[in-house]
Amino acid sequence: MWGETISISPAPGPFPADTAECEGRSLLKTFVAASAHRGESVHVFGFEIPEEEFRAGFDPDVTVRLLYQDGFTDPLRWTGEAGGFGAEEFTALGVAGRLARGPAGPTTVVLDSLSWLLLRQPLPAVCQTLGQIPRAATSLRVTRILALLHEDLHPPGLVETLRSLARAVVGVGPAPEGMGSGGDAPHLASMLQRKGTGKVLKKVGEGKWRCPDWGVDPAANLTFNLRLSDTERRARDGMSLPFHFTVSGHAPFSQPAHFSQATPLLGPPAQCPQPLPSRPCPPFFFLPVPTAVSGPTPLPLAPPTSSSSIQSPLSL
Amino acid sequence: LLGPTYGTGSILENTTLEVLDFNLLPSSLNLEDKYGIYSNLLFKYFLAEGIVCGHNLFVASAKEDPADILKELPAPLSDDALKNQVDEKETAIKSKQESQESMKIAWRYQNLPRIEVNIPAASARFGHYYDVSKVVSPELLQSTKWHRFFLPEEMSLHPEIKTCNMTCGYTRLLQSIQRIIYQEGFDGSYPQKKQKNILRIGIQSLGSVLWGDDICCAHNPEDIYSLTKFLYVLRGLLRMSLSACIITMPAHLIQNKAIMERVTNLSDTVVGLESFIGSERETNPLYKDYQGLIHVHKIPQLNSLICDVSGTKDLAFRLKRKLFTIEVRETVFFHYLEPERWSKSYHLVL
Repeated sequence: MWGETISISPAPGPFPADTAECEGRSLLKTFVAASAHRGESVHVFGFEIPEEEFRAGFDPDVTVRLLYQDGFTDPLRWTGEAGGFGAEEFTALGVAGRLARGPAGPTTVVLDSLSWLLLRQPLPAVCQTLGQIPRAATSLRVTRILALLHEDLHPPGLVETLRSLARAVVGVGPAPEGMGSGGDAPHLASMLQRKGTGKVLKKVGEGKWRCPDWGVDPAANLTFNLRLSDTERRARDGMSLPFHFTVSGHAPFSQPAHFSQATPLLGPPAQCPQPLPSRPCPPFFFLPVPTAVSGPTPLPLAPPTSSSSIQSPLSL
Repeated sequence: LLGPTYGTGSILENTTLEVLDFNLLPSSLNLEDKYGIYSNLLFKYFLAEGIVCGHNLFVASAKEDPADILKELPAPLSDDALKNQVDEKETAIKSKQESQESMKIAWRYQNLPRIEVNIPAASARFGHYYDVSKVVSPELLQSTKWHRFFLPEEMSLHPEIKTCNMTCGYTRLLQSIQRIIYQEGFDGSYPQKKQKNILRIGIQSLGSVLWGDDICCAHNPEDIYSLTKFLYVLRGLLRMSLSACIITMPAHLIQNKAIMERVTNLSDTVVGLESFIGSERETNPLYKDYQGLIHVHKIPQLNSLICDVSGTKDLAFRLKRKLFTIEVRETVFFHYLEPERWSKSYHLVL
């Protein structure tokens, strides 16, 4: 799936947009380096990664032109440290005030990332702010606004709207199989640029950059455990369930038909052609339906009257 | 219809040229193509026609400064330049004709010209022609009286309002239009004072997020009726004054299709533009000379009860060198071995 970078409003400029499969920050950093090499000062409003991590990998002549507005350390402004930048400060005047602290002249504004802002402010407000930044920053000349967008996080309507506003959109995604060779994973970047003359340019380029080696694992870093360790798995396998007959003979709940009747709460399965798996399931409470036994339906926890050795749940 | 009638929508027909007259209609809605390129062009044509006719202009935008929009209007073509343009086209057609294969069945028609290009005399002409490659001269602009509404500018006048939601933006625009109509006498006030003139209103990209509206990005917008309420009030203002309005709207972004139905209902003319950029039609040989299709969703029915009886529904546009032309697709049954050809130019008069 493709991620996209979106460039917005009057100041032209490409924006990288990425997805979980392929990150775009590296591409954003190449644009930052290019702006710095052109002699522009670069104001970075960073919200997702610490300043040191963003500055890592830049040459000294790029770093000296980089002015970092820290929105990562204290986004809600709880400690109130000077120099921090909160979400509520993202207005045209707020941003222009920060830009005025830097040197005058051509300036590139970088947002890392736009997704972070869009999750906290409505899209119309963000777009209006972006459109007003060049006008509000009167002491310097904003040449472009670069913003990183994580396409996965937003509905397609929002992404399309941003695409239509942007002058250039750069999407990054994994390259198809067979492309490229070597250690680093190849990526494809496609750029759609709208020129002032009304022409629309489409370019696709291949690039290689080293992505961080993390996989997307939604079960990682949780406060509860979704997986079983080996000992836990063995203990679970060895556990015998209630109403699981251990002697051969009449075992109503080991037959598929009875199994389907025995789980009315879960709903009857459409087909149950295979026999039940031998591994016991996690302990759910079944409502047993009498077949051979006449009389009232026994309650689940009531001890059975037959002589077969049904293990009571209380014996677990 | 209430209010003054200021011109009938007439369709002139002659053997070769059919002129679609959209002139002097209360409101005309232009649905934007995907990248907004051609809808912007039609928007500029409308305003340029106003300048050439000596009308007053009102330009509203949330994206571009109206002064910048006016600077980029296409320059009108003089009669001589127009004649040269026509001659160029005829020679191009003739050379193309010679290179075509001879017709197998309809050989009697071999020597007839394929496309007849006839520009009627200036007195019979309705509308003007423009050169897209040139911009209007500053002198012509200066002689035009125009008014502006630029939303970020309006918001900066009231800094206590940090962000302008759609209600705020639309309300301000309506108030501005109403004020201009009243002050300049387009609604019939000051009848003895001024000579009657027409106000041409152009609103760019209405409904986009820059106006503060979220119908383009949310399936369940915060206020689904704000746009339609705006159009309803605008229609009332237009009906009671000597004004015409063109609105461009990014319909392809509006998530809720019911909104587009209502908007179509509230407009007099609705034209959709579909550009081929980025679609598979870009490489389709059938469309190789053209940049997009025009879909006429609604035409005005002034003082009429009959429905749309226009025969031509299949229109494409092309922007070649200087002229923006709309052509109708016509299947010529004699040439069933050849691909369908395009003929019969239409000139859109705005």
